[in-house]
Amino acid sequence: MKSNPFAYVISGLFVLLAHCAMLANILYNGNYEQIGDVWSLAAAVLGLDLAWAILMPFFRQHTHTVDFILILILNMSLIFQSCFGGVHLSVKHMITCIAALIASRIGFLVCRDHNWIARQKKLIWIGIGLVMIVILLFTGSRSMWIDMGSFTIQPSELLKPLLVMACATSVAEQQKKHKLLWFNVVWENLILLGITAAICLLQWWCRDLGSIPTFAGIYAAGFFMRICYPKAKFSKKTLIGAGIAVLVIAGIGIKLAPAYVRDRLFVDIWSDKTGNGYQQSQALIAIADGGWFGKGPGKGFLHNVFAYESDIVFSTISEEWGLLFALMMIFILLLMLAVPLINPPRSYYHGTLAAGVCAAFTVQMALNIFGSCNMIPFTGVTIPFISMGGTSMVTSGLMAGMLIASQSPSFGKLPAKKKRPSARPAVRKGAGA
Amino acid sequence: MKSIKRTQRIITLFLLLFITGMAALVIKIQRESPFYMMNSDKHELGMVYDRNGEVIFDGSGKTQFPEGSLIDLGNLIGDDKGQMSNTLVAQNIDKLNNYSFNAGLVKEGGKAAIYTTLDHYADRAVYNAYMGAKGCAVAYNYKTGEILVCTSLPNIDVTKGYEGIADFETGTLISKALYGTVPGSTQKVSTVITALEIMGADKLFSKSFTCTGHYTNKNGDVIDCHNTSGHGEQNIQQAVENSCNPFFAQLVADPDMPLNSIKKVYSRLGYAVNGEEEQYIDIDGIQCERASTTLVDSNDFNTQWACIGQGETLVSPIQLMMWQSAIANGTGKMTMPHIIDRVTDVYGEVSELSKTTYSKQLFSEDTASTMRQILLTNGANHYSGSIPGYTLGIKSGTAQVKNGDEDNSLLVGFVDDPRHPIAFCVLLEDRYSTPVTSEQIVSAMLNAICN
Repeated sequence: MKSNPFAYVISGLFVLLAHCAMLANILYNGNYEQIGDVWSLAAAVLGLDLAWAILMPFFRQHTHTVDFILILILNMSLIFQSCFGGVHLSVKHMITCIAALIASRIGFLVCRDHNWIARQKKLIWIGIGLVMIVILLFTGSRSMWIDMGSFTIQPSELLKPLLVMACATSVAEQQKKHKLLWFNVVWENLILLGITAAICLLQWWCRDLGSIPTFAGIYAAGFFMRICYPKAKFSKKTLIGAGIAVLVIAGIGIKLAPAYVRDRLFVDIWSDKTGNGYQQSQALIAIADGGWFGKGPGKGFLHNVFAYESDIVFSTISEEWGLLFALMMIFILLLMLAVPLINPPRSYYHGTLAAGVCAAFTVQMALNIFGSCNMIPFTGVTIPFISMGGTSMVTSGLMAGMLIASQSPSFGKLPAKKKRPSARPAVRKGAGA
Repeated sequence: MKSIKRTQRIITLFLLLFITGMAALVIKIQRESPFYMMNSDKHELGMVYDRNGEVIFDGSGKTQFPEGSLIDLGNLIGDDKGQMSNTLVAQNIDKLNNYSFNAGLVKEGGKAAIYTTLDHYADRAVYNAYMGAKGCAVAYNYKTGEILVCTSLPNIDVTKGYEGIADFETGTLISKALYGTVPGSTQKVSTVITALEIMGADKLFSKSFTCTGHYTNKNGDVIDCHNTSGHGEQNIQQAVENSCNPFFAQLVADPDMPLNSIKKVYSRLGYAVNGEEEQYIDIDGIQCERASTTLVDSNDFNTQWACIGQGETLVSPIQLMMWQSAIANGTGKMTMPHIIDRVTDVYGEVSELSKTTYSKQLFSEDTASTMRQILLTNGANHYSGSIPGYTLGIKSGTAQVKNGDEDNSLLVGFVDDPRHPIAFCVLLEDRYSTPVTSEQIVSAMLNAICN
């Protein structure tokens, strides 16, 4: 902000203007019983915009681009969720949006300094282990939720940012090769592979198979970053072997998949539109009914279908706001992920963070949108920031914080006694603290 | 740091993959959204017209049709009530919906419509010609494939709804032209084509068999002729004209007609032989059953009986008519029938336009030419009096049904006139209890179409 206050103000005004336009659409075209419902929503949205714009300068960052995109998309989400089936402020979603914003700050503060987080690497692994133990002990083998009374937690969501962090903190270890039988191996690569495999097996055990591609995507992004690391020397044979292994594992996975999963893989939704194909067929009908410009905020019917606010939220938004607006929403999310293309990360660690977050978000969006629209099996994962769900919002916020960290990195000093030159990330010329 | 830019490449890869998927999704939604809407309860159906612009179905329900004016078309055109599935409207309801992704569901003034090739005037004339008898009649232009007439009796006036559906006569809710029926001696057209393909015209015409009124095959089974005193010695032309069963039984058993060759030609003609998986002929979404027969042993009664057109052979009237096109055109390729001429979208723009298509080669042009001449000779010798005014290639058939308790009469043929290239098939059920003949129905049909 200090370097370019004009851009900061303009960005803030743009966000305000976008939200005002959406609120005006609700006012003139929405389905509400009392005008007060619209004003309360407007107050919440614009208040959050202003509060965020005021708070941001207190954080020392090189750029606030991701922050503005984050508040833009979060308040769009709040507006969408508050309109489904009739305009009324969704207090629950507003709280989770605020939680996501706070999480993004935490993600930023925790991840911005590579040297500091590298020293906490084992804590990240322990964190992953603890979450897995919590899942094993508290969710049960056919569930992914822990019931806390008035709300529920999906602990497996927390594994996503932790895995991104684990991948990023290990990227600098690529030159530490050890002889194992006939192979030169990097211990941390094996540890990461083991962690990812354990997470995937745990997801299988929980019957949360929809999350497995997300973890696989994060690992793949980390893997690609590792093989790009200077002198990592991954041979083509290794890469081809890894590709074949992935295909074999995927094939075995489909073969061994539970009956309900195979049903979803091969279901003809239109011949079973009152059974297994109900949500998807209704979702597609809703998109068709909404057309390009939608039926109007709060005027849809899809809110009568289970998981309208999470698993099939893209269709619910398309129905009420139109496919054009739903695509615009996705475009804004992509814009957030594309920021590292304009302002490249300055170290492999921060690059891995950005690539991991990009992988997690795009895989989740693809699973949600293409699954609900019957292009791929329906898995029931969430769209980051758009779908309702507290745990999902918080973890998405944490990952957005990592993205912010990749834009505003800091490179703190290493402890004097621990000389680990190889752990220092390769830093782009001219960059640094 | 050149290699650090790979971060951007990896991010770009993920984003591009996702954007490609989104583009595919938008295209999919654009293309399939009418189908999605038809699976909802939100319809605004448009009109179906005949070839002269007469409304033969109004999805809005606003048109007041004269009492019983659509009775000839009910089980072919159908409606959106879900009682009849194999009908034009049921199978093309997404085309008829006044919906597009761009315009949404248009409640007033939508111009989605199906313009059919049917001639309602002729269709109704044929329906009336049955004089209450049961059966079906179908005719099409064998040059273009346009179906002109397709009526089936009993039928239903869909504008009256389905009250008392339990008391409807059997066959009311299906168009019989689409379903297999025992073809009777019209099957002999296929058998002659088969013989021509296997041994050629010269050899076939050189063969003669004697009919004494019945024929006892090598297995000791007797095949009777409708002429109990026998037709004497005949060649193929005479046998077709006499529709002589013993001749054809002997032809099938002839050593020059190996069973495997018969099966091959029958399969090429489109028969499902010996329990092959039955497929359907698609006519603008309407499914027409494919012919089926059983051919086991040349000396077996059932095999000979099947080649004569009785027993287990089943052919739909539409397929019988389609074979006539391959003969009439002299190409050995069937002109594929269609019932939709064009479709207009919600704005009235033509979104689909029919075109003439042909089947693969069923038999050689020489076979088609010879068969054509045989049928034209038969028409000139036997039908010029009962169906006056037309140069016809024609073959009759009598199908024994209900264990021989009833005889159905069939006539298949074509008009040899470039101005009226019509191929047809008429089925008259229980011929002896009706006041009308199949010839009279064909005559009425041709008069209505051509005049």
